[in-house]
Amino acid sequence: MRIVVRALVAFGLCLLAVGPVLAGEQVLRVAQVADITNLDPHRAGDIYTANVIRQIYNNLVKMNKAMEVQGDLAERWTNPDDKTWLFMLRKGVKFHNGETLTAEDVKFTFDRMLAPASKAPGKRLVDVVATVEAVDAGTVKITTKKPFAPLLTNLTRYEMAILNKKAVEQGGADYGKKPVGTGPFLFREHRLGDRVVLAKFAGYFEGPAKIDQIVYRAIPEDATRVIEIESGGIDLMFNAPPQDFDRLAKNPKLAAIEELFQATMYLGMNLKVKPLDNKLVRQAINYAVDKEAINKAVFFGRATSSYGPLSPSIWGFDPGLKSVYPFNPQKAKELLKQAGFPNGFECVIWTDPRTERKSVAEMIQAYLAQVGVTAKIEIMEWGKLLAETGKGAKGLFVLGWTGTGDADGGLHIRFHTSGIGKDHNRNQWGTAELDQLLDSGRTTMDPAKRKAIYAKIQRILVEEAPDLFINISKNLAVARKELKGFELFPNNINPLYGVSYGN
Amino acid sequence: MLSYLCRRLLFFVPILLGVSLLVFSIMHLTPGDPAQIMLGPEATQEDIAKVRQALGLDRPLAVQYLVFVSNLLQGDLGRSIRSDVPVWDELTSRLPATFLLAGCGILLAICLGFPLGLLAACRHNTLLDTSSSMLALLGFSVPNFWAGLMLMLLFSIVIPILPSSGYGEWRNLVLPAVTLALQIMAIIARMTRSSVLEVIRQDYVRTARAKGLRERVVLWRHAVRNALLPVVTITGLYFGILLGGVVVIETVFSYPGIGRMLVEAIRSHDYPLVQGGVLIFSVSVCAINLGVDILYAFLDPRIREQYSGARGRRAAA
Repeated sequence: MRIVVRALVAFGLCLLAVGPVLAGEQVLRVAQVADITNLDPHRAGDIYTANVIRQIYNNLVKMNKAMEVQGDLAERWTNPDDKTWLFMLRKGVKFHNGETLTAEDVKFTFDRMLAPASKAPGKRLVDVVATVEAVDAGTVKITTKKPFAPLLTNLTRYEMAILNKKAVEQGGADYGKKPVGTGPFLFREHRLGDRVVLAKFAGYFEGPAKIDQIVYRAIPEDATRVIEIESGGIDLMFNAPPQDFDRLAKNPKLAAIEELFQATMYLGMNLKVKPLDNKLVRQAINYAVDKEAINKAVFFGRATSSYGPLSPSIWGFDPGLKSVYPFNPQKAKELLKQAGFPNGFECVIWTDPRTERKSVAEMIQAYLAQVGVTAKIEIMEWGKLLAETGKGAKGLFVLGWTGTGDADGGLHIRFHTSGIGKDHNRNQWGTAELDQLLDSGRTTMDPAKRKAIYAKIQRILVEEAPDLFINISKNLAVARKELKGFELFPNNINPLYGVSYGN
Repeated sequence: MLSYLCRRLLFFVPILLGVSLLVFSIMHLTPGDPAQIMLGPEATQEDIAKVRQALGLDRPLAVQYLVFVSNLLQGDLGRSIRSDVPVWDELTSRLPATFLLAGCGILLAICLGFPLGLLAACRHNTLLDTSSSMLALLGFSVPNFWAGLMLMLLFSIVIPILPSSGYGEWRNLVLPAVTLALQIMAIIARMTRSSVLEVIRQDYVRTARAKGLRERVVLWRHAVRNALLPVVTITGLYFGILLGGVVVIETVFSYPGIGRMLVEAIRSHDYPLVQGGVLIFSVSVCAINLGVDILYAFLDPRIREQYSGARGRRAAA
């Protein structure tokens, strides 16, 4: 008996001694909130999968951290007329399966995405494309149905990653299990619900990455992710909980990184519901709410108040926009009186059950009560909230908008009258002037002129106040101090090619 | 015995059909459209309609259910709406992890709970009894997600000897299995204690003692064996609750099992995946109950007698 016990103890100690360290290889262990869904860019629609797709594939063009468009697989591009784009591809780019990139692959990628039966989530971003042609092996010609200035920005999105024709055809329905790209890391293994393992691609066209392996782990619980980074079980975590962020920043072994997100959270108003059709009432609601207090209480200070519909990290954001509606309950009451509601009115706020959104709705409810407006909160499931607000909300609703990285993606779809009663004009409102400006923002190719158009649109929206633009939260990441070269992107889809352990 | 087994196995079919119908109805009654959730707030109604059509969600509910059942009977569970991975692949890759966790959890619970209860019963009304009862009460009352986080803090940060999450090594299994075991351990300990105490007061135990048998023989042969039946029953019954605990614990410890898959699938309204997960859980609960019933026969000669008696009667008729 005693021998058995001793043997067991010895065996246990042996197991303890074998740590998880992989000798010689530089491994980057990254924690995300959820597991990936499908590594086929024409199938994936969530940010966690997008992060992995970013390492495996390249696009024709990419965005740097300052949100400027740069060449990626395309070395250069020209825009001979408003509806034609020519992309000159880099020479000698290899896919992970050894194939050389040609214009045919690019054409195949877009044809596959735009096919009538395609379920690709990115389809809507390029549905303006009429044809994609391979002029020669190294030149791609994209023709659009009408002039479309945001095309380049849309092409930088992860959904537009360039696929290898042969690999996709070989992969069939299960292509997402064996993805092949041109990116700095190649797919090695996916253990469902647990991890995705990527390995360095030695033949990457910009030179091999400094990290040998990336392990993306899915750790849904905030507290568990925090414990993992504190105990050294992971090297980099995304979506750090704001309440733990200051504490983690003080840890000498860790670096805390923050970056303004692309999404703006707002209190939307259905202008078909009385008295929200009255501009004075909408402005009163804007004056009544203290955004700074919301930032502090709900976001632990990791958010910036919005003055308009766009985040500063979106191309076309107007930096000249000032705070037009500072917190001023007195002014709100006066405006309500002017509008004919000296004793306030009753309304409904819709929100989804996420704690953060619910807390925001509750704070707004309390602020509105201070100026005499009685708001009732109705919580509905996320999918239903989206569908019902599209058809027309009962009054107010809390929502966030990410957009595409270009002002068009955040404004046209939301404020053009063509979307009333369906889709995205959840305000159920618009004006002829706004429609005309939004359309010309799309068709004007000159960037300076476009910026002027979007500045004007933003000013109109602030004045008309169809929404109460609340704030822009921050992307929070925590990394081990030794990790060098990591950049947090505003869209929270972060390339890891430049990351190293500083040696 | 064999015919009994067959009859019991046959009963699985209506139970599973009932479960699938129930889950199907609940999932479709809950508001929210998987296509809308998949495509996000920025998709147009037209895109959503197209995806709904591609997924067959635009057909009448009765048709959808019949298609599901007929596919199921052919062994096809469909593909996940969200990831497009076949549900069968998803289940088979996660099932071993969940069984490992649940198995270790229940084993640990029995190995700790039973001796604890026995000890408390033997040393009835002593300090040992009170403290083991306190321990059991604590184990039962502490919510398992909190217990999990506390264990994580203790063994990953304060005394860093175990990883706080993940899967693959035995070290990953320790904390979730212990957390999972806590509640069941407490229940088994309490049950063992009361049932041993009850048996120990019976006449036959007194007779055994009067015969001059050694206390150890009295305890193990006469008391424990008779006290085991209720303990086995309760362990079997609580297996279902254990699976419920798996859902929470897999999420807390980022453990890639069926429980966490279910949580994520419910959130994204991934109907086929939810159906698959619930069916697997139902099959497991049915199988465990069957196992418990068979175990009775081994433990209780009276029940064994019934089976063979039934066979005897049938043979005579």
